[in-house]
Amino acid sequence: MEVSESTVSRKNKSTKQHSVNALKFSKLEKKQRKAGVILVLPAMIHFIMFTTIPILIALWLSMTDYRVFSPAQWNWFANYVEMWNDKVFMISIWNTAVYTFWTVPVSMAISLVIAFILNQKLRMRAWYRAAFFLPHVTATVAIAMVWMWMYNNEFGLFNAFLESFGIKGINWLGDPNWSMFSVVLLGIWKGIGQKMIIYLAALQGIPNQLYEASKIDGANAFQQFMRITVPMLTAATFFIFVISLIDSFQVFEQIYVMTGGGPINSTTVMTYEIYQNAFESYRMGYASAQAFLLFVIVFILTIISRKYMKSEL
Amino acid sequence: MSRRFKWMNLLLISILLVGVLGACSSESSSTSNAEGKKTLRLLTPIFEGSDGKDILEGEIIPKFNEEYPDVNVEVEYTTYAKLNEKLTTGMVGGTMPDVLMMGVGWIEGFAKENQLKSLSEFDTDVDSLSATYNEKVLQAGVYKDELYAIPIMLDARLGVYSKKMFEEAGLDPKHPPENWDELREYAKKLTKRDSNGNLEVAGVDLLSYDHRQIWLPFLWQNGGKLFDEEGNAAFNSTEGVEALTFYTNLVNKDKVTDVGFETGTDASLIGSGMAAMAMAHNNIWTNIEQQNPEALEDIEFFVMEEEQKAMFYGGTLATISESTEYPEEAFALLTHLTGEEASLLANEQRGNVPARMDLLDSEYVQNNKGVKFAMENLEYAYPEGGVPEWLEIRSKFTEEIEQALYKEKTPKEALSDLEGYAEQAKGR
Repeated sequence: MEVSESTVSRKNKSTKQHSVNALKFSKLEKKQRKAGVILVLPAMIHFIMFTTIPILIALWLSMTDYRVFSPAQWNWFANYVEMWNDKVFMISIWNTAVYTFWTVPVSMAISLVIAFILNQKLRMRAWYRAAFFLPHVTATVAIAMVWMWMYNNEFGLFNAFLESFGIKGINWLGDPNWSMFSVVLLGIWKGIGQKMIIYLAALQGIPNQLYEASKIDGANAFQQFMRITVPMLTAATFFIFVISLIDSFQVFEQIYVMTGGGPINSTTVMTYEIYQNAFESYRMGYASAQAFLLFVIVFILTIISRKYMKSEL
Repeated sequence: MSRRFKWMNLLLISILLVGVLGACSSESSSTSNAEGKKTLRLLTPIFEGSDGKDILEGEIIPKFNEEYPDVNVEVEYTTYAKLNEKLTTGMVGGTMPDVLMMGVGWIEGFAKENQLKSLSEFDTDVDSLSATYNEKVLQAGVYKDELYAIPIMLDARLGVYSKKMFEEAGLDPKHPPENWDELREYAKKLTKRDSNGNLEVAGVDLLSYDHRQIWLPFLWQNGGKLFDEEGNAAFNSTEGVEALTFYTNLVNKDKVTDVGFETGTDASLIGSGMAAMAMAHNNIWTNIEQQNPEALEDIEFFVMEEEQKAMFYGGTLATISESTEYPEEAFALLTHLTGEEASLLANEQRGNVPARMDLLDSEYVQNNKGVKFAMENLEYAYPEGGVPEWLEIRSKFTEEIEQALYKEKTPKEALSDLEGYAEQAKGR
């Protein structure tokens, strides 16, 4: 096919124009990139100063015998070996896992149901949403104090309730068989608000057409919930799962206030044991080793969750 | 990069650096301001609440300033629960306050690591203070024969009983238990349970305070020791095991009280009529005075003797940081805080036992039966601690005694494990 000169010249002109546009776009992109770097810079500095550097210092301290009073001396892996043989610390890892195992899935399930209900057109819907969210924004210490009264052996609300049915009261916080359950119960209750809000936002992002179409196909409410709502919430669910996991591995205040890790270490969790070693026994090196292990556990769990989330989405 | 971006970059980085450097710069512990006033920082776990602040900053410090107008005292309040954190961060950050208040058992560890000034630098030692203080009480501020701290207040653990409940149980209200056998016998008689076995009145309340502080008097009463003269653990002895066995048997075999038996408020069990006897803090008097003043008439105190009479004492001592820039002024403040007037105000506010013997005749002490009893029996008082590792191991005492109380370990096993831990701590 013959191509006329004018066509070639037009094509050349067009290519030139295109490359000039591309060049202009690339300059704009560069500017945007620089602006982006400047905007990210404060967060980066904050992250380096208050996260990266402390992690590296903790790693260094974990290989020393640092005890605050005297300069740190290298002891390499002695703290890690001691940790392995430390029965109380092993109990604390187990207790943290138990706490996580119960608080994370249970509060996620409850918050999903609550979010689903509060996503319907209800009277005083905003009030209910605020009420469920309130525990999340209330100081944990204040909450723990109130729950301690409710758990009180002699005059507490829970035992009064049990006794009204003729059931003997339980020593909620003083009995090692019940103490973890009591702390978990508070953990579940306190965790519902934040999860509910995220679920609520995610629920509002599900297109209504999906429900309408399924209705035409004859799906009932339960089927809609299981086949549309739950799958459409996968991203939110994994996000909530990761933050809940990290939160529950860092549980501290309610243990500190309510049980002090007792009785007989039945509620001693990793953070509490780290605190005890660092600020009660002044064993900063050993506490840093424990803290570093906690960091590694949370880090691995987060990586696994992220990988799993990517494969699911 | 355009000029505008460069400037923005520079500006942002400068702001951040200034902020970061400002945040990181450590304020020196003592400072001198433009008017030439010297500033002393005082860290206190007592004088809590607005009442305490009013007393310290409204009465005690203004009096100090009358004599030292060029010294400005900055007060940092904390609690005993948070004191460790404050001191740790102060040491690490090089911001140790000039004058510090610490508990009994704390001084040895800090003195060993040269964090405190020896008071011999100010010509003050145990001998020079023995006319004002009971010598036993001064020992809490001594490390390796040097005095580092002077006590402001003490808090004792005493036996308390209700005369009315003694009478109701057919016991002589003028005859409190004198030894362990009597304590056990009386406690069993005084314990009341309903038909379902629910505890209504504890024969003796042993569980409202730290297990360690309740077990230690039993150890001393039985002739035992916490540590020997070389600082080796001495509590895992026949006397120690017997003391812990007696303590755990009272709860587990004799059932004179139950774990978790509590009032649910700030009120004490004995003040609320829920216990006939108690091993309690001396401030129980103040507590009952606030909660149920009519019950004060019914309350009496006692100290038991098995091999010897013994009671526990803790307390608060004032000391000076080694890093202070104004040692003379810091010592003047310490002297003022431990003086008659300031000491009385501090003790009154907290319901504690003055360390100064000259306050025995004060109206406060004479009107507070618990405090008066403790002061009159200071010769039987024993402090906890005694070794630099005490802060590291003391929480383990509570844990191990709890293990014995919950029958997870025998008293012998619990004390052996504790001894092992104490030896490890000593070796570190």
